[in-house]
Amino acid sequence: MSSLALSELLGSTVYDASGAASGRVREVALVPQEDRAKIALLIVKTPSGNRLLPFSAISAINGGVRASTAAGDWVLADGAEGLLLLSRDLLDQQVIDVHGRKVVRVNDIDFHQEIVVGRPLLKVGGVDVGARGAIRRLLKGVVPAAALRALLHRVPAREIPWEFVDLIETDPARRVKLKISHERLAKLHPADIADIVEELAPDEREAVFETLDEDVAADALEELEPKVQKSVVESLDSTRAADIVEEMEPDAAADLLADLPEERTAEILVRMEPEERQEVTELLEFRENTAAGRMTTEYIALPVTASTNDAIEALRAFEGRMESMSTIFLTDSRGTLVGAVPLAKIVLAPMASPMLGLAQEPLISTHEDAKEKDFAELFDKYNLLTLPVIDEKNHLMGVITPDDVINMLRAKL
Amino acid sequence: MRFLRRWKIQILLFLAVLGPGFITANVDNDANGILTYSQAGAQFGYLLLWTMIPTTVALVVVQEMCARMGAVTGKGLSDLIREEYGLRITFLMMIGILITNFGNVVGEFVGIAGSMGLFGVPKYIAVPICAVIVWLIAVKGQYKSVEKIFLGASFFYITYVLAGLRANPAWIESLKATIKPPTASGWTGPYVYMVIGVVGTTIAPWMQFYLQSSIVEKGVTRRQYNASKLDVIVGCIFTDVVAWFIIVACAATLYAHNVRDIRDAADAAQALRPFAGDWAYLLFALGLFNASLFAASILPLSTAYTVCEGLGFESGVERKFSEAPAFYWLYTVLIAAGGAVVMIPGLPLIKIAVFSQVVNGAVLPFVLIFMLLLINKKELMDEYTNTRLFNIIAWATTVVMIGLTLIYVYGQLRGG
Repeated sequence: MSSLALSELLGSTVYDASGAASGRVREVALVPQEDRAKIALLIVKTPSGNRLLPFSAISAINGGVRASTAAGDWVLADGAEGLLLLSRDLLDQQVIDVHGRKVVRVNDIDFHQEIVVGRPLLKVGGVDVGARGAIRRLLKGVVPAAALRALLHRVPAREIPWEFVDLIETDPARRVKLKISHERLAKLHPADIADIVEELAPDEREAVFETLDEDVAADALEELEPKVQKSVVESLDSTRAADIVEEMEPDAAADLLADLPEERTAEILVRMEPEERQEVTELLEFRENTAAGRMTTEYIALPVTASTNDAIEALRAFEGRMESMSTIFLTDSRGTLVGAVPLAKIVLAPMASPMLGLAQEPLISTHEDAKEKDFAELFDKYNLLTLPVIDEKNHLMGVITPDDVINMLRAKL
Repeated sequence: MRFLRRWKIQILLFLAVLGPGFITANVDNDANGILTYSQAGAQFGYLLLWTMIPTTVALVVVQEMCARMGAVTGKGLSDLIREEYGLRITFLMMIGILITNFGNVVGEFVGIAGSMGLFGVPKYIAVPICAVIVWLIAVKGQYKSVEKIFLGASFFYITYVLAGLRANPAWIESLKATIKPPTASGWTGPYVYMVIGVVGTTIAPWMQFYLQSSIVEKGVTRRQYNASKLDVIVGCIFTDVVAWFIIVACAATLYAHNVRDIRDAADAAQALRPFAGDWAYLLFALGLFNASLFAASILPLSTAYTVCEGLGFESGVERKFSEAPAFYWLYTVLIAAGGAVVMIPGLPLIKIAVFSQVVNGAVLPFVLIFMLLLINKKELMDEYTNTRLFNIIAWATTVVMIGLTLIYVYGQLRGG
């Protein structure tokens, strides 16, 4: 197995079966729907136009490209729709490095070359984003090839393996043809996805958010900077935006929608599922800087008569975030907050213990109109994991979690 | 009442986007600008005034193109050049920009040295201290807060307008000169040189990269882009009105009294005498210092960003030195070397500053050519490609500047 770079292949002479120089390599193409890494064909610039040369018809690559068919057999290139053209679509473009969790620019592309059944087989090994690729591109043709190879050997290479590269394509039709689904990107932590997306241009961001699954998109959206968040939501169409916002935590969704122009918010709300719409609309009514404005309505509340067994069942059935699971609240038949039981106590208690006996003393809560300063102080003073929010009648309305407070405090730092 | 409220909203909206265009235009009147316009007025009187109107029109068109490209593509100019034309061309362009911008940085330090000299502070003290201050402003991330101070202080430029008014220039003559270019005999070598310099300082290549990046960073989208257009136009007009007055003020004082060459900042300060009398020195020094420091904190940073983005290096002041070495090195070397050049004893500093602007003018066509090629690509700009009028104006500017540069070089080679 030997290595070859795209810039070395581009522009090299192509000889047909008769040994005559018939053209130069103009493009190297993959068919992603068939094989993500194998080079499928070359586009050769001949005196009679651009022609397609399937890789199976190549007998050798050394200095130039030797084909085993006659030049006249090569088909004329037309639209090249389903092809990934490496020079046009990948070289000098930005791609996502899923392993390094950032956006990088492609300087050159490295191939692995093997001989299989007597013919060469070329596979994309990775993209070069470092000095070696850059220097090779700059000095090609200027410095003799042998000297160049020797020089490049000394330069450190920064290569990203092909399996960690996620392409960015803004045309939806092409995304389908090139099978760009961002499945690799989707496996990253939402905060990392958000970091990557923040480095992209608006059109590219929109492309990513249209392709990711709704729940992944929702998590990533929550982690974006507010300005970028707004820009992304405004670029999506209302139905897609609604699909994503539905999957978000109600408080995060409410924060996001509160910042949008009214008609846009209305358009999105209308397309949401009724249950989620209800939750978000309730939260939207509260003023932002109060406890009610910061809380989430996803929490676990059980009747005062519940036992730890009921609690564990409720925890298993809970679909919200883990932060909301750290405390289970006890309410009476009218919804009045009676007690709060930390998760740790439930785990340590014997089976089927009454929950009321495990309730934390004293019961700390905050009123819905409480100012940010006040409830932040409560978190600090009592080392809270969660803070329940109540109305004048002591009914439990929602819960503030530490990430809300940290978020708030960081904005002031 | 509703009418008033609508106006208030319009004004608030305008002030909210007021930024990239206005700032870029103000930084346009940096030390290089002030010195070049002053020299133009001193050396040729009113004879260069006619360049103001065509240059302003060209400036508005070029800046608007950058703002539009930034808003529509969401990418900086060097990014676009890289993606459409590849590494080699980008590399050559970046080298050109680096050299050109370095000349401009030197010019800013000339301004710092000159203005501090008027206060009696020798350049060997003033330049290193200011270089460190400039370096810290960007690296410590205080740029945003300092920006407002600089902008406010930019209103010092009004002194030139007032000076021009008080200098009792020959109004008829100056207004005529604003419309009529000189006859063929007036186009000597030095005159052509100055024309290139005046255009180069007004439409500096670095400004195009800076403006487009600012628009992208501010997150201006296609929808909000119209407000930015207004910001750009207002900025350009303001900057060129000030330029006009600088030339007139210098023409009416220096040229009229046969001071045809500005050897140092003190000479240029004289132009403010009629308005400010003995305060002329103080006002000029403050204005020049503010302009130089402002530009010196933007220009090296912008250059470092442009080059790093074009060549794919990590960049950003929020990163540590070890994470973005190329960026920090570029930035630091630009400032350090710029200051160092100015400290070499015996250099004709004003001439160097003016020369750097002439280099601007010579490099400008190349940047314009790329901008024109990019902005007319439908797959890049959708329906926001150039109108025919804009294409004509921009291409005309390109051709004229190439022509002028060739004429000048040819004239020099012939010993003319």
